Amino acid sequence: MSSSSAPAAEPAALRPRRLLLAAGGTLIVLTYVLLVVLQPTELAGGLGSVAALVSLVGFLGGGALLVAGVLPMLSTSSLVVMPLGIALNIAIGQLAGSLGLQIYLDAIGTVLVAVLAGPAAGAATGAISNAIWGLFNPFALPFAAGAALIGLLAGLAAKHGLFRRVSTAAGAGLVTGAIGGLVAAPVAVFMFGAAGTPGTNAIIAVFRSMGDKLLVAATKQGLLSDSLDKIVVFVLVALIVHALPQRAVRQFPFARTQRVLGGRGGRSAAARGNDAGTA
Amino acid sequence: MPRRRIYNPVTELLTAALLVVLVLVVNRWEFSLAVLVLGVLPAVLLSGRARRIGLALALVTGPLLISSLLLHGLFFPEGERILLDLGIARVSVEGLVFAAVLGVRTSVFAGVLLTTAMTLDIAELLATMTHRGWNRKLVFVVGSSVGLIPHVALRGQQITRAQQARGLVVGRGPVSRLRGLLAVTTPLVIGLLVDASERNHMLESRGFSAAVARTSYLPDSDTAGQRVFRRLLLLGVGLSCAVWLIVSVPR
Repeated sequence: MSSSSAPAAEPAALRPRRLLLAAGGTLIVLTYVLLVVLQPTELAGGLGSVAALVSLVGFLGGGALLVAGVLPMLSTSSLVVMPLGIALNIAIGQLAGSLGLQIYLDAIGTVLVAVLAGPAAGAATGAISNAIWGLFNPFALPFAAGAALIGLLAGLAAKHGLFRRVSTAAGAGLVTGAIGGLVAAPVAVFMFGAAGTPGTNAIIAVFRSMGDKLLVAATKQGLLSDSLDKIVVFVLVALIVHALPQRAVRQFPFARTQRVLGGRGGRSAAARGNDAGTA
Repeated sequence: MPRRRIYNPVTELLTAALLVVLVLVVNRWEFSLAVLVLGVLPAVLLSGRARRIGLALALVTGPLLISSLLLHGLFFPEGERILLDLGIARVSVEGLVFAAVLGVRTSVFAGVLLTTAMTLDIAELLATMTHRGWNRKLVFVVGSSVGLIPHVALRGQQITRAQQARGLVVGRGPVSRLRGLLAVTTPLVIGLLVDASERNHMLESRGFSAAVARTSYLPDSDTAGQRVFRRLLLLGVGLSCAVWLIVSVPR
């Protein structure tokens, strides 16, 4: 591929991008810490409004900064697969939501892009996906930063070879889901009072009936649902990418050079045929 | 009939976003209700797509509001004034008030954004982004995704029907569902990746990765007046929020 990432000879051009990435990451972490430390007792009044605003602006703004920093680094092959991932997220996520399932399945596209095109493309796909989904379902919008994190972690898992086997992909899904659930819980609580699908609400209701605070109940629900969801999503994506023809996988420099699928579509296979065409 | 457009999509989106910010900052049910009745409702009625927007709003917001009412109405351990004790579930005044306040706020949030999105001219928005010098990669990803969503949904339906014709039956068990999902998503993804590969070569041959400025074939509908209006709006809402937050800090 002709432009896999920014050339190393342009440190001056890289600096603002790194600054944007650092600012985005810092804003997301600060927002999370602020929300979890604040934990407003009266969500419906007083501090609740600040918490909702901080949650919306902090996570959305952080996601936007990350996208602004990541996009210029992406190759054309990564860019053309991102709309595919976004469309898959929305189409399958909408279906799962309308069926009232306890899991979301709205990150299949993000994880697929992350596995094929890398953590940066995965993070950008997650954030943009939720921003576009917000045009049809505004409730998806504030979860953009969490979606970016899922893409980033899925890409890192792929980079470290965890998608070579279905069992390790499931383990990576469990960890990613747990982290994603922790990040998503404050957004769900402060923006929408943790109301979601009937399935997820049933889980929150169980914890609330045991006397848990709303944030605690939503966090436990997030840990349960998101972990289960990401295990299913990661396993599904692992099965899908292993079923893909080698030619389809080899068109992605990340999947090829990082040997995401082990021997299949790895460097040795690429060296036999197609590397010359990508120079 | 769709309404005649007066403002540029960027102006409309910014106005909607700032209205949401105001509702969150003020966080009073009276204000949220006023925005809903005096802002969202007339906008929906004048949009020329009132039925479509109304239906979408009902489908998106309805289940969430019912969920919220059931969750907080029945399970609100902080509630002290109990109206009905059902054992593990208790209906409390505080829980119902909490659900109502959040419900109105959520309705405004969804109403404002959905009305704006459903009356938005995406092509005009993308053209404005190009004219204003936004990142061309972002413009490509957004434009391409919006165009691809109905295509993916349609192709998914066609593959499902084809697999059913070959004998695919999805049972109630999780393994059967996972197998059904795989039977549809694998050919769907392979087909989409082939398309993406072709698009990749096409874009590269047309100089997509070149760093030169882009030209939009659509005229720029954004005006200097609207740009000034957007800056003033941003400033006004920012100042109003700051004043409100300072004044309303609990002493």
